[in-house]
Amino acid sequence: MPLSDDELKDAIVAKATKAPKPQLYIKDFYKCDPDSKARRIKNVANELVREERLMFWSSGSTTMYGIPSRIKNEDDKDQSN
Amino acid sequence: MPKHDTPLLDELEKGPWPSFVTDIKRQAETKPECWDILGQLEVSFVDKITHWKHGGIVGVFGYGGGIVGRYSDMPKQFPGVAHFHTVRLNQPSSKFYNTAKLRAICDLWEKYGSGMTNMHGSTGDLVLLGTTTENLEPLFYDLTHDLKQDLGGSGSNLRTPACCLGTARCEYSCYDTASLCHHLTMHYQDEIHRPAFPYKFKFKMSGCPNDCVASIARSDFSVIGTWKDDIRIDQAEVAKYISGDNKPNGGAKSNASAFDMERDVLALCPTGCMRMKGDELQIDNKNCTRCMHCLNMMPKACRPGLVKGASILCGAKAPILDGAQMATLTIPFIEINPDNDYEAVIDVIEEIWDWWMTVGKNRERVGETIQRVGLPTFIKVLGLDPIPQHVKIPRENPYVFWTSDEVPGGFDRDVREFRKKHAQ
Ligand code: SF4
Ligand code: SF4
Repeated sequence: MPLSDDELKDAIVAKATKAPKPQLYIKDFYKCDPDSKARRIKNVANELVREERLMFWSSGSTTMYGIPSRIKNEDDKDQSN
Repeated sequence: MPKHDTPLLDELEKGPWPSFVTDIKRQAETKPECWDILGQLEVSFVDKITHWKHGGIVGVFGYGGGIVGRYSDMPKQFPGVAHFHTVRLNQPSSKFYNTAKLRAICDLWEKYGSGMTNMHGSTGDLVLLGTTTENLEPLFYDLTHDLKQDLGGSGSNLRTPACCLGTARCEYSCYDTASLCHHLTMHYQDEIHRPAFPYKFKFKMSGCPNDCVASIARSDFSVIGTWKDDIRIDQAEVAKYISGDNKPNGGAKSNASAFDMERDVLALCPTGCMRMKGDELQIDNKNCTRCMHCLNMMPKACRPGLVKGASILCGAKAPILDGAQMATLTIPFIEINPDNDYEAVIDVIEEIWDWWMTVGKNRERVGETIQRVGLPTFIKVLGLDPIPQHVKIPRENPYVFWTSDEVPGGFDRDVREFRKKHAQ
């Protein structure tokens, strides 16, 4: 049984909060619900961005996801040196 | 007055050809930040290393692509380029604009950015070079509200689809490339604007095997127009090419009288499937590979057949981690049908995505995934039967192992039991 939208959202946010690095690939979220198709997980992750619970981080050629406060923290450190 | 001395860059202004250094100096007269581009590049020439940094959290709200963050790693020396983000605009299909639209885009870019552009990027976008984080939202508002102009793709998104001129301008075209390109662009808006994949994914569409957008070399999913039936031959026009009344190659060769049917057409057909029988040109169409040579040499005499569609090729990429790679022919003929919203093409695209999104590694292009698992696996995923065109070198490997479901009636064998018999 795939998780409901809300359960999946919570699982994704929990994963992004606990992960050692602030930026995650979309594939890192697939394990949050092995019963869901990859495209559904992508759609739910993008909805979390619209809700501002996640945010995008771009390396230029790859786009990653993360918790806004964690990403901003790291980005500030990066810009100051 | 130059803000920085740039003796090395100044070398690039010598000679009769256009120079980007001259262009940027001219732009710097009204946009002083452009001096810092030159200053920083001069330092890079000396240090032999780039001083640009990529990436970060720039973007406009709700979009996960279309803007590429760019920063200087020497912001104190070059404050004009401390932030210098790139904005990609989705070009219209086949790049048809009127000049009013181009002027409006340039005016907006003078207002919010450096005024420098790159037309077009290799994904096809109009590329606007150099603005600050604060200017992004106001620029995006004006673009979408006043110019009805959207951003293109970047990052791990579907990149802006691109196509050749197609039926709009070109009589070789076997399908309406602009229409398919527009359809896919609208159908996959979410994939273009928000990251969806392990890495970038590109669609490119050419109307015939001349492949003017180089889709075979530059896209993960290349749609190349082709035909199934016979090349249409007009024998009267063939005679005019032979007599010199028709200029070969649409007149592109300066010395038209030099045309020699044997040397310039028959002998250059890669499969040797053409011949002259008396005054009649004959083609063994079963052996024609649709290379376009005879059609290009004699456009009035040879035209594509009437049963038109496209070939699908997958997996081209530039040399990033591994070497560059051309696309592999995957489906030799597919229907291109606007009346059912290009159902056949969409089905293949989504079959590939569902597989690659799960099996592909992070930062692995679909062509690299195919290479890793092998073409036979990829063909199975798409539910295709192998055809001779999928085979690069016949019987390169003499060891063919059949699985039970590939043999009529199947077989039942316990490998461990089998191996026990051979144990020393
Ligand atoms: S790819 Fe073929 S159809 Fe498209 S513009 Fe070139 S020659 Fe014409
Ligand atoms: S299209 Fe190419 S392969 Fe086909 S008949 Fe003409 S020259 Fe030969």
